[in-house]
Amino acid sequence: MKKRSRAWICVLPLYIFTIFFVAVPLVYVIVLSLLSRDVTWGVTGKFTLSNYARIFESSYLNVFKQSLTVAFLTTLITSLIGYPFGYFMARLPKKRRSIVMTFVIVPFWTNALVRIYGWIILLRSQGLLNSVLQIIGIVSEPLKILYTLPAVIIGMVYSLLPFMIFAVYSSAEKMDFSLVDAARDLGAGRIKAFWTITFRCTLPGLLSGFVLVFVPSIGLFFISDLLGGGKIMLVGNLIQNQLLTSRDWPFGAALSVVMMIMTLFVIWIYRRITRVKDLEGLL
Amino acid sequence: MKKLLSLAACAALFTALLSGCGSQQKQTLNILTWDGYIPSNVISEYGADNNVNINISNFTTNEEMLTKLQSSEASQYDLVIGSDYIVDIARKQNLLAEIDKTKMNNFNNIGKEFLNQYYDPESKYAVPYSAGTPLIVYDPSKVDTDIKGYADLWNPSLADKLVIMDDARNVIGITLKTMGKSLNETDPAVLQQASEKLNALRPNIRLLDYNNPQEAMLSGEAAVGYMFTSQVAAVLSERPDFKVVYPWEGMGFGIDNWFVPAKATNKDAAFDFLNYMYEPERFAYIAEQIQYLCVNNASEKYLSDAYKNNTALHIPSEVLGDTEFIEDIGTDAAAVYDEIWTKFKQQ
Repeated sequence: MKKRSRAWICVLPLYIFTIFFVAVPLVYVIVLSLLSRDVTWGVTGKFTLSNYARIFESSYLNVFKQSLTVAFLTTLITSLIGYPFGYFMARLPKKRRSIVMTFVIVPFWTNALVRIYGWIILLRSQGLLNSVLQIIGIVSEPLKILYTLPAVIIGMVYSLLPFMIFAVYSSAEKMDFSLVDAARDLGAGRIKAFWTITFRCTLPGLLSGFVLVFVPSIGLFFISDLLGGGKIMLVGNLIQNQLLTSRDWPFGAALSVVMMIMTLFVIWIYRRITRVKDLEGLL
Repeated sequence: MKKLLSLAACAALFTALLSGCGSQQKQTLNILTWDGYIPSNVISEYGADNNVNINISNFTTNEEMLTKLQSSEASQYDLVIGSDYIVDIARKQNLLAEIDKTKMNNFNNIGKEFLNQYYDPESKYAVPYSAGTPLIVYDPSKVDTDIKGYADLWNPSLADKLVIMDDARNVIGITLKTMGKSLNETDPAVLQQASEKLNALRPNIRLLDYNNPQEAMLSGEAAVGYMFTSQVAAVLSERPDFKVVYPWEGMGFGIDNWFVPAKATNKDAAFDFLNYMYEPERFAYIAEQIQYLCVNNASEKYLSDAYKNNTALHIPSEVLGDTEFIEDIGTDAAAVYDEIWTKFKQQ
């Protein structure tokens, strides 16, 4: 009995942390989303559901549509690049593996915003990419990549790719490759062995990578602001606008609640498919 | 006995001296402002000359400042800066103290065009500090058309060449100006028309940027820009060959003002410091440092040629003409503006 109560004390800080930094802000956001905006500044205590109703206006629904499109494209491209990368990284000998891993991690030592500014310099019409393309003679006029949707996707993929790589890597590394040998012994071809054994075993990693990339890509507003030239509006930008420029906190809160529900939905699907409770790549 | 008396007198004198010293304790002046909005040497020189401790606290947005003013912290600040619209809100909430002009002689030097504005109709509470008007700036070598006003931004020859500020009120505002309406229009039917007109501007827009539009101009990414005064000034200081347009439809205006909170504990020190900053020569220096329009008429003769030749900073008052402020328009109209802007952005 005594032992149990002591164990409870050990996890107490964790509970306090969760209550103060997760539960309380969450309740605050939900309550805020049900209030109405004050005439000049702040909110009034008047209860309303109109903030949620407003989200269903076509212009705001379109923001969600655009955001989901960007998120899907980002996730698709990161999967196509990240899956083989993570898989082969797990198969490398230990020494080389750690070198490759370092290369993936090194960019994280620099602030994300600085790296995105780097992309602006690379992609602008008088930037490095266009100069090289023009010198080689591939294009005669500078390509206008910066401030378009492809530029936003490039920035998103660049920022989120490591999450996919490490998620796939962690499940590929745990995989027992003798299973593949067994399949081959029993007569399966290379492709069949990959599909039935390797892909199945690494699917949880791929799917957790999917979640880890998809969820933040809805909210990374600074990438669409900087590389999209403010012309591409994601849900994250919309929320930022409500809080900082429109001063409509309740509407911003309602948007945040809807975004959280979307996120929970993605995680719910992930759990239904993989039947695991944790995000494997998250460690 | 005589000796004793003189000794006692000496002692008395000595203690009087000491107590005199005690009453001249160092005063403290607490200022709440944007980072870097007062040149640091002005602060340190005033502090040294007047034996005053100056504490500077910073805020990043007007809204943050107002929140501080409304909280119990309010008494911690003696002098605060804020933009026009937020001064209006603060004044209506009785958070401001009247400026004692008998303690601020230099108030009389402030230009008439900056006084008696909507946020302080009798100029009782706010001291204009820096003024600015968003302007159009362009690279003549890349633009074939002659730009005279906002309406020219819609010219098809400017396809994909514009950088404009990422700000709903300003951009919808200039659209309204091209229709002969006010920056603060609230009629839904007019706003609907403005929405359609604004959407037609979209093909011309290379990018929207609130904080650093000058970079797109300087890197050649955009050929025409619509941005705030200090940003236009920054463009011009690197590229004097670029042209500035004072739009004929009428210009928007913004003024940042000093004010003393009603709860301030050291109001006199605040007035004294204001008076010090508004000394003509010193204020000319300040205007050049912060790169805004100089509101102090008496400073004119102290301004450098570089400042006077910068057409974004030195705008004659007759050219400035009928300026208009972006004012608070109420929640319903604000929601319409937000929807127009969201639609415009996602085409």
